[in-house]
Amino acid sequence: MNTIIESINRAVEEAKSRCAAAKSQADIESVRIDYLGRNGLFPELSRQMGTIPAEERRETGAAFNTGRTAIQQAMDEAVARFTGSASNDDIIDITLPGRRQCVGRKHPISRLAEECVAIFRRMGFIAVDGPEIESIYHNFDALNTPMDHPSRDPQDTFYFPDGRILRSQTSPVQIRVMETHEPPVRIVAPGRVFRRDTPDATHGMNFHQIEGLYVDKNVSMADLKSVLQDFAREMFGQDVRIRLRPHFFPFTEPSVEYDFSCVVCGGKGCNVCKHSGWIEIAGAGMVDPQVFRNVGYDPEVWSGYAFGLGIERLAMLRFHIPDLRFLYENDVRFLEQF
Amino acid sequence: MDISRKWLSDYVALDCDDATLCHKLTMAGIEVEAVENNSTVPEGVVAAKIVDRQVHPNSDHLSVCQVNDGKNTIQIVCGAPNCDAGKIVPLATIGTVFTTPEGDFKIKKSKLRGVESNGMMCSASELGISDDNSGLMILPEDTVIGTPVKSLYPGDTFIELEVTPNRPDCLSMWGVARDVSCLLDVEPKFPEITVPACDTEIADLVTVEAKELCPRYIGRVIENVKIGPSPAWLVERLESIGLRSINNVVDVTNFVMLELGHPLHAFDRDKLEGKRVVVRRAVEGEKITILDGRTIELKNEHLVIADAAKPMALAGIMGGEFSGVTGDTVNILLESAVFNPSNIRSSSRRLGVSTDASYRYERGVDYDMADAASDRAVQLILEVAGGTLASAKMDVNTGRPAENVIVCRFEKIRNLIGSGVSNERIVEILTKLHLKVSDITAEGCKVTAPLFRLDLTREADLAEEVARIDGLEKVPQIAVNGKICHPASEDAYAKVQNLREMAVSLGLYECVTYSITGVPQALTDSRFEESDLIKLDNPLNPDSSVMRPSLFGGMLNVAERNITRGNRNLRLFELDKVFCANAEKYPEERDELIMLLTGKRYADRYSEDFALEYDFYDMKGAVEDLMEMLGVSKYRFTRLDDDKRFKSGNAVAVDIYGRRAGVFGEVNNALTSGWRHTSKVFVALFEAQSLYDASVKASRNFKALAQYPATSRDVAMLVPEDMENGKIIEFIRKRNLANLESVRLFDIYCGKELAEQNKKSMAYELVFRHSERTLTDNEVNSAMDKLRKALESDLKVELR
Repeated sequence: MNTIIESINRAVEEAKSRCAAAKSQADIESVRIDYLGRNGLFPELSRQMGTIPAEERRETGAAFNTGRTAIQQAMDEAVARFTGSASNDDIIDITLPGRRQCVGRKHPISRLAEECVAIFRRMGFIAVDGPEIESIYHNFDALNTPMDHPSRDPQDTFYFPDGRILRSQTSPVQIRVMETHEPPVRIVAPGRVFRRDTPDATHGMNFHQIEGLYVDKNVSMADLKSVLQDFAREMFGQDVRIRLRPHFFPFTEPSVEYDFSCVVCGGKGCNVCKHSGWIEIAGAGMVDPQVFRNVGYDPEVWSGYAFGLGIERLAMLRFHIPDLRFLYENDVRFLEQF
Repeated sequence: MDISRKWLSDYVALDCDDATLCHKLTMAGIEVEAVENNSTVPEGVVAAKIVDRQVHPNSDHLSVCQVNDGKNTIQIVCGAPNCDAGKIVPLATIGTVFTTPEGDFKIKKSKLRGVESNGMMCSASELGISDDNSGLMILPEDTVIGTPVKSLYPGDTFIELEVTPNRPDCLSMWGVARDVSCLLDVEPKFPEITVPACDTEIADLVTVEAKELCPRYIGRVIENVKIGPSPAWLVERLESIGLRSINNVVDVTNFVMLELGHPLHAFDRDKLEGKRVVVRRAVEGEKITILDGRTIELKNEHLVIADAAKPMALAGIMGGEFSGVTGDTVNILLESAVFNPSNIRSSSRRLGVSTDASYRYERGVDYDMADAASDRAVQLILEVAGGTLASAKMDVNTGRPAENVIVCRFEKIRNLIGSGVSNERIVEILTKLHLKVSDITAEGCKVTAPLFRLDLTREADLAEEVARIDGLEKVPQIAVNGKICHPASEDAYAKVQNLREMAVSLGLYECVTYSITGVPQALTDSRFEESDLIKLDNPLNPDSSVMRPSLFGGMLNVAERNITRGNRNLRLFELDKVFCANAEKYPEERDELIMLLTGKRYADRYSEDFALEYDFYDMKGAVEDLMEMLGVSKYRFTRLDDDKRFKSGNAVAVDIYGRRAGVFGEVNNALTSGWRHTSKVFVALFEAQSLYDASVKASRNFKALAQYPATSRDVAMLVPEDMENGKIIEFIRKRNLANLESVRLFDIYCGKELAEQNKKSMAYELVFRHSERTLTDNEVNSAMDKLRKALESDLKVELR
């Protein structure tokens, strides 16, 4: 072993202990300057290499490289203590934007419809479909709508030249299901319905409803009330109450409209509920005996309830959307909010 | 139906406040739409007694009073001369808000010339009760201290009711009173009607030719009336529900209609040719000028009240311009009739004339009330316009209709409502509703519905009456019966949800557009021509006249609107119904899925990623991902050359299991030429049914995982620049190389030098694997040698 090797070994030990004791990056920098810097020990030893006998050069060269690597490594490890990172490649800027994949969105109408369907499926309903171009029979006659009922008027309902119409409600799906199924029947029917309304903040040429129907033996208004109450809680929270008010629909008797306690103010009274504490949601009732006769069910044996829901209305309440037209504009700044 | 509380209380004692009354009405199915009280006395003003009065130390016209409001003694500084101790006066307590034309004025604690004052004693004029502002209003000595003054001067309350079409009996004060009496459990009071006797028969006064449209017509003559203004009480009644007074006779007919629900009409008898009326169908083409000044050409379907010569009134809808009561009228023919509801409805609609009378007639009036209403009007006309009754009741009718008799089984009623309402309660409710209940047994009873309740025909109708009067809050809430009645496989919505979920997981935003559209937008999709469109008979406007045959036009419209608004980076889809009139092309209704990509692929990234714009391969990738999610193993892409929706050479058809399922590509520039953007637009359009079917067909069976390592080899080649990747892959596959598992393109390079030679470099990775052992290098190398030779000799490419 020559003096150079000895110097190297000594330097490695010194540098290691200085690195271990370093309290800042500046301490480590001074190690670098003392040993590896331009005027440091290693360049100096390198210049002395020429003075070494040829047969020792190989051994000395190896020791030189090993020593230099060892010091560098000791410095890197020490630096890591201060930066938490072992090398420049791993230094990150956590404030740079992440590389996000695009996340898709359901339209709020679909979101609400699916949510409703999910709630009703939990209660044993299945979701079914029906045509949007409907016969007058299914949309009106079979639902016991009087011949001169205003809803049949071309002022209110879209007609086709062949005498069919765009369904004005999802209720014809009730008829179609009962025509093809023996009771018991337990369905909901989400879908698009059409009214001849000029679009404004609360009306459109079409909107979406969900129809519900349960026919079995001994079905009562108590069953109806319970399903609506559970639906209200699932949709708007456990504190929501419902109330039924008597109303009139040709296809149910008794008929009711049902309200939810205001989902905005909790029933205290606010602008949304017009200070009544209640928000009108939709209509429901016990299936009219004439409707049963129209589909060949015996009203003495079977009873049932039916209800409707307006999806847009629920979506507007749920997401605090002030104007129905936003739902049909499909501005992505709107769509990305849901 | 608008009612006034004061007016209503002529027929029923209203021993409750407005809020309670309105709540009860609403909960009984007569929904209150609006309530407005016109009392000018603010809340917070109470009756208070002045217990002490002292002169204000710093003023010669102010007094310092101690006032008792029933709870506390309060010091008030008052400037009125009459604030004497012992008087009971209205006191506006702290916080009372007066609404004045200058704005709201709130009573606050204050100091008047150094003396504290905690409220304000009021004059009658300050409370809006009268014009008297000479001093404090002095309340009667027996007024209970603390009473809100508003309750002493309640004003009147206007209530707007929504009466459902089945309840025409509630279209009058009396009718509402009848229901209210049941709700408040008090007896209603029918107005006392007295009419002088007169038995002068005028045989031809009334002729009813169209008996099918007019089951009853009562005509009466009153002579020598003096037309003039109505008395104050009558004006007040009409104004209380927003009606304008016209003259005493017309006001009476309106009053009686509103009171009893039965429309009446008064003709000037001297203007009727023959001094008589004929109820008949109009002759085709006959004309009438009605009260609103319009001249209408009539058809045979319209019912008119004519004189001996021509129509004088549109029966049940509106009187004629030239036969009504005017200031010169002396002799009156008073009509009280029943008309066919459907006929009135259709005439009213077709002629575009709707009145308070037609509103009631088209819902159905009470046959019996025609009689009472006629009497009531005679009584009041004689009272307010003088004159003498000059005829008997000339009542032409087809006989009183039979009343509905309904069998009511108590148990059935309970079963339908689901509540335990007792037999006795059921009978009580039905009786209070003025229905005739008879034959009561332990099981049920017989119910006869009076003619004002034609809506009651079945047991279910009675159940509704019981439910609404007993109170729907009494319907119990029970545990939901979650019975499963149908197999889940019959749930038709699941497949739609499933596909929607897939589109969302591709990162797309869902759109919902109107399904009614205009012809040009519909025909944006070149698959369709005008004869394929389903046209509406009564469109709202020309831009919304057909059912969309495709989601294509609507989606482009959404994209354009977004781009116009500065939203240039779009990834959208829609899944919904489309319509086709041509059964040879498509079924009438079917579901379609459309996807659209345009603009920047990563608008929220930076550097190189940010620069990326959607291209053809993004859309192709989305379609491939969709196929993978659906589990479709066999699908094929074919280039479409003649699809006008897409840029030439940039459209691809997608076949699933050999059936055309959809198409995608870059949208034809011609369709986006007016857009404010520079990005390419890519669309994919699918028959949703094909996707639903494919999803059902998809096999999801487990496949064993490979146990032995794979060996991979690369091969790169220079090929002509128009050689397609598919051709090379197919060539490689057709070599049937032993143990080849997969081939993957991993690089395309086309530097300047290569481009000049019209060439490009394509590099592939081939993966070899054997399922039962590890392959040797030799095996793989020999397969690769075979491939290389074939590529050079048969595909004529230059290996690199």
